[in-house]
Amino acid sequence: MVLDLFKKFTTLWIILIVLAFFPIFTSTFDLPFWNDVVMRIMLLGMAAMGLNIVFGFGGMVSFGHAAFMGVGAYCAGISQYYGLDNGWYQLLMSAVSCGILGILIGFLALRTSGIYFIMITLAFAQMLYFFFVSLEEFGGDDGLIMDRSDFIFFDLYEPLRLYYLIFFILATVSIMLMLLIRSRFGVILQAIKSNESRVEAMGLNPLKFKLTGYVISAIICGLSGCLFASWQEFVSPDIMHWTRSGDLMIIIILGGLTYLAGPLVGAIVFLLLEELLPDLLHVLFPPISENWMIIFGPLLIAVVLFGKGGLMGVMGSKLKTAANREKT
Amino acid sequence: MTSTLLLEQIFNGLQAGITLFLIAAGLTLILGIMDFVFLAHGSQVMIGAYAAAAITIATNNFYFGILAAIPITFVCGYLLEWLIIRHLYGRDHMDQVLATFGLILFFNEAIRIGFGPAALFTNFPSSLSGFIEILPDTPYPVYRILIILVGLLCALGIHLFVSRTRVGAMVRAGASNPEMTAALGINVKILFRFIFAAGATFAGLAGMMIGPLTSVEPGMGEPLLILSLVVIIIGGIGSVRGAFIAAILIGLVDTVGRVMLPMLFKTFMSVSTADTAGPALASMSVYILMAVVLVFKPTGLFPPKGA
Repeated sequence: MVLDLFKKFTTLWIILIVLAFFPIFTSTFDLPFWNDVVMRIMLLGMAAMGLNIVFGFGGMVSFGHAAFMGVGAYCAGISQYYGLDNGWYQLLMSAVSCGILGILIGFLALRTSGIYFIMITLAFAQMLYFFFVSLEEFGGDDGLIMDRSDFIFFDLYEPLRLYYLIFFILATVSIMLMLLIRSRFGVILQAIKSNESRVEAMGLNPLKFKLTGYVISAIICGLSGCLFASWQEFVSPDIMHWTRSGDLMIIIILGGLTYLAGPLVGAIVFLLLEELLPDLLHVLFPPISENWMIIFGPLLIAVVLFGKGGLMGVMGSKLKTAANREKT
Repeated sequence: MTSTLLLEQIFNGLQAGITLFLIAAGLTLILGIMDFVFLAHGSQVMIGAYAAAAITIATNNFYFGILAAIPITFVCGYLLEWLIIRHLYGRDHMDQVLATFGLILFFNEAIRIGFGPAALFTNFPSSLSGFIEILPDTPYPVYRILIILVGLLCALGIHLFVSRTRVGAMVRAGASNPEMTAALGINVKILFRFIFAAGATFAGLAGMMIGPLTSVEPGMGEPLLILSLVVIIIGGIGSVRGAFIAAILIGLVDTVGRVMLPMLFKTFMSVSTADTAGPALASMSVYILMAVVLVFKPTGLFPPKGA
């Protein structure tokens, strides 16, 4: 069983193993800054993996999943505001709130499809965004400064504890997703993506599966948001701005949306570009070193126009052609 | 006092709604006819505003700025369609979202490099800075009245064009059934490019006109884009008439709510809480409206026939 999962999801396992040993690398070469970058990679990657359940496997283009990250983050922030420091409790709160919200929003949004679904998910995200902007008690637009939460087994102010907490949650989520995708549920969800009426004709109710997928993805985004709050030591509506929903989609499509590891690969590339493009531009064209997006934007368009299947797809087909060449 | 303020806000709402309509008119056709999720429409607004502002500053003539900016936005839309957009028709919605998101990033950064991150300020000429009394003792700025009039004129023009001309008939046919339209021998490619460029021009015009009222800055188009998407969804994708009604509705709800909700809240909340909660809840109300419409009419209020 374990070996089976390993064979099927090799890339994901390799990434997880590299992430597990990455701090050794940074401490050897004294690059603590990169731990921070990798923590962001893991957090955004986790949220994108959650979104990818509906997006890549279920074929539902949700443009509002940053809202669930925001709800998760505010669960941590608001709990702490009232003196509830226990991080595990906050994670539970995030999961429960995002689950309930996911059921409500999913139930209403899944009545529509196509462009209307994209837009209604965006509408709900905007609603939540402005809801948190309106909460003056918790800082409104300016947000809420907070301490890292108190996770009983991980004192987050010790070096690397936060890193391994995030890693632990990411690894747990990844393994559960591996099982989920190969389960009956996962197979039916993917079947709905390729042909919904056939699934219906088989006597299954597609809405039930789509809604379940939506709720699971909402919960994972909520967990990521809750940890994000501890990482950032700050919560503001900015975390759920609609452009972050866009970022999550970019991450998924960059990595390859039909692969479980795709969103993680995408997150690595996305955040590395964000870190390295300014440096690169600084060397090549110093006057525009701050404007790395002028390269990044066209890069996205190029990925869409020429790179079908994202990086995972490109790597996969390269490997395959190489293998074919060896055979012949 | 309150009724004067209310009347003023209703006019502001109309002005905002008309502006939204100019942006949404092209976008609803792009979404409806080409089935294309075009997120960079807000950038067209920005391009229009910048072109007008830059030319106005250079020549010191507001009217010349507007007149010169109109063809610039048309050419921009035309080139954009020809270079990039036409390769993306028929692709997945998510591909379109991603590519046009990339365009937004590109345009915002290009403007930031070209004009700097700070906002450009232009003033409309003094002949337009007066007030008209719309009711006794209720002065209202001439410039905003002018925006409403120009917008209504454009709306009328678009309406007549779509409902009375031969090309308009092709547009309507395209909105209800693109494949059949193509099968009837209509050159859909040219039609698409024309609609796209025209839509860009109207969005640009909206940007040019609101430029002096708001700040002309990178990223100014995105809030407007999101609102005009709401307009399009409420009105029904592909319906210009629906977009018009929904735009006025959203403009009024957003503007009037922004002023009236804080006043309402102050009756039972502390002043500072009401000042934070009011405008945010007014912004929320727009999306609540949209969600309610979609839940009861999943294809909007006025879906084009046959869609």
